[in-house]
Amino acid sequence: MSENNEHQGDGHDGGHHVNYFGIYITLIILFLISVAGPEVGDRFGLHWLTLVTAFGIALVKANLVINNFMHLRWEKKLMKWVLATSVILMLLMVAGISPDVLNHEGRNWQNLAAQAAVERGLGGDDHGEGEGATVAEGAAEAAPAGFSAASSFGTVCATCHGAGGQGDGPAGAALTPPPANFTDPAFWEGRDRDRVVTVIRDGAAAVGGSALMAPWGALYTEEQLEQVADYVMSFRPN
Amino acid sequence: MGHARPLATSRSATGIPTGRLAVWWILASEVVIFGGLLGVYIMHRLGHPEWAEAASHTQTWVGAINTFVLLTSSFTAVLAHQAAEKGDGKKAAKLLGMTILGALTFLVIKSLEWTNEISHGYTITANTFWSFYYTAAGLHALHVIAGAIIMGVVAFDAYRGRELHRVELIGIYWHFVDVVWIFLFPLLYIAK
Repeated sequence: MSENNEHQGDGHDGGHHVNYFGIYITLIILFLISVAGPEVGDRFGLHWLTLVTAFGIALVKANLVINNFMHLRWEKKLMKWVLATSVILMLLMVAGISPDVLNHEGRNWQNLAAQAAVERGLGGDDHGEGEGATVAEGAAEAAPAGFSAASSFGTVCATCHGAGGQGDGPAGAALTPPPANFTDPAFWEGRDRDRVVTVIRDGAAAVGGSALMAPWGALYTEEQLEQVADYVMSFRPN
Repeated sequence: MGHARPLATSRSATGIPTGRLAVWWILASEVVIFGGLLGVYIMHRLGHPEWAEAASHTQTWVGAINTFVLLTSSFTAVLAHQAAEKGDGKKAAKLLGMTILGALTFLVIKSLEWTNEISHGYTITANTFWSFYYTAAGLHALHVIAGAIIMGVVAFDAYRGRELHRVELIGIYWHFVDVVWIFLFPLLYIAK
């Protein structure tokens, strides 16, 4: 690095003899390396190189800017401690919630929406194994090969509504109001297919119902929504 | 009365000029805002391998140009500070003007980028990756807009030789906005 610091720690404003142009050029060179990293990494199959050039260089660049442009290195110790406290508390928060966000299941819980999103996102392009293996991401126009409304209902809806649609799923027992029983004729009074599609997509709160019926639109294409709705309709007693 | 400086700007128990202390305090809170957001993004990204497909649609070269623009604007901001320290308000104001130009360039490029992405269906509600993408870059862009406005006010005064110490203060804020982008760039454009 090309700077000299004759006034280090003197606590006075001004007079920081930093070679700003040198720092700037260093930043630009580092930036070019971080852009070139993935190109080189892909060519030689070194994916770790991308991570090093992307985040390692970001740290070096941030350090250069903070110390030489923001002059933090000449700042009072107090201020460094205040900033460090802020960084540490932020990292503590991130570390604290990481087990719940990074994992999609634990001893007594499952994040069904996250699991379904991963399955749906990866399902179409490399494998078709597993029940409920579904479709490629964003393939709204493509034929949803491998999508099954029944297995999706089993994964996503049955937890509360029960595999038989009777509103008796394991997670539904504790809910107030209880999950809808699709086999109850009274439930279907005034409800049609369009409304079922809307509720699956936008949640029941969107039509004045309970917010406990969450929106699932992010999981399905429009076509898949209609298939799941048809599956729900199949529980309707005649 | 008219020229008496308020106590809050003349007294300093910490030895740090009050204005600068205030800017650092703001940045300490910004660390939690941006750090929390990016930390949660990283965790989701690691837990969702399917985001790689969505992330592959961000345009690296657009992000790269904007990185170059922001780095350069940080350079002009620190030169403005240097000029202000030498008492050259006019030069400081001109350099701040160049920094504002950098901010505007950044925003124009970002608008074109977003228009293109939205027209391809990659909206904030498309999926969780794009939600993070627009939230993080949008929050950052709001900071760019705020910085540009404040720089305009500071430059207006500096040109008339007034409140030259503020050139350093807005500079510190601006470098922070640069630092946030230094992390956003690899997160959203490089590490796909």
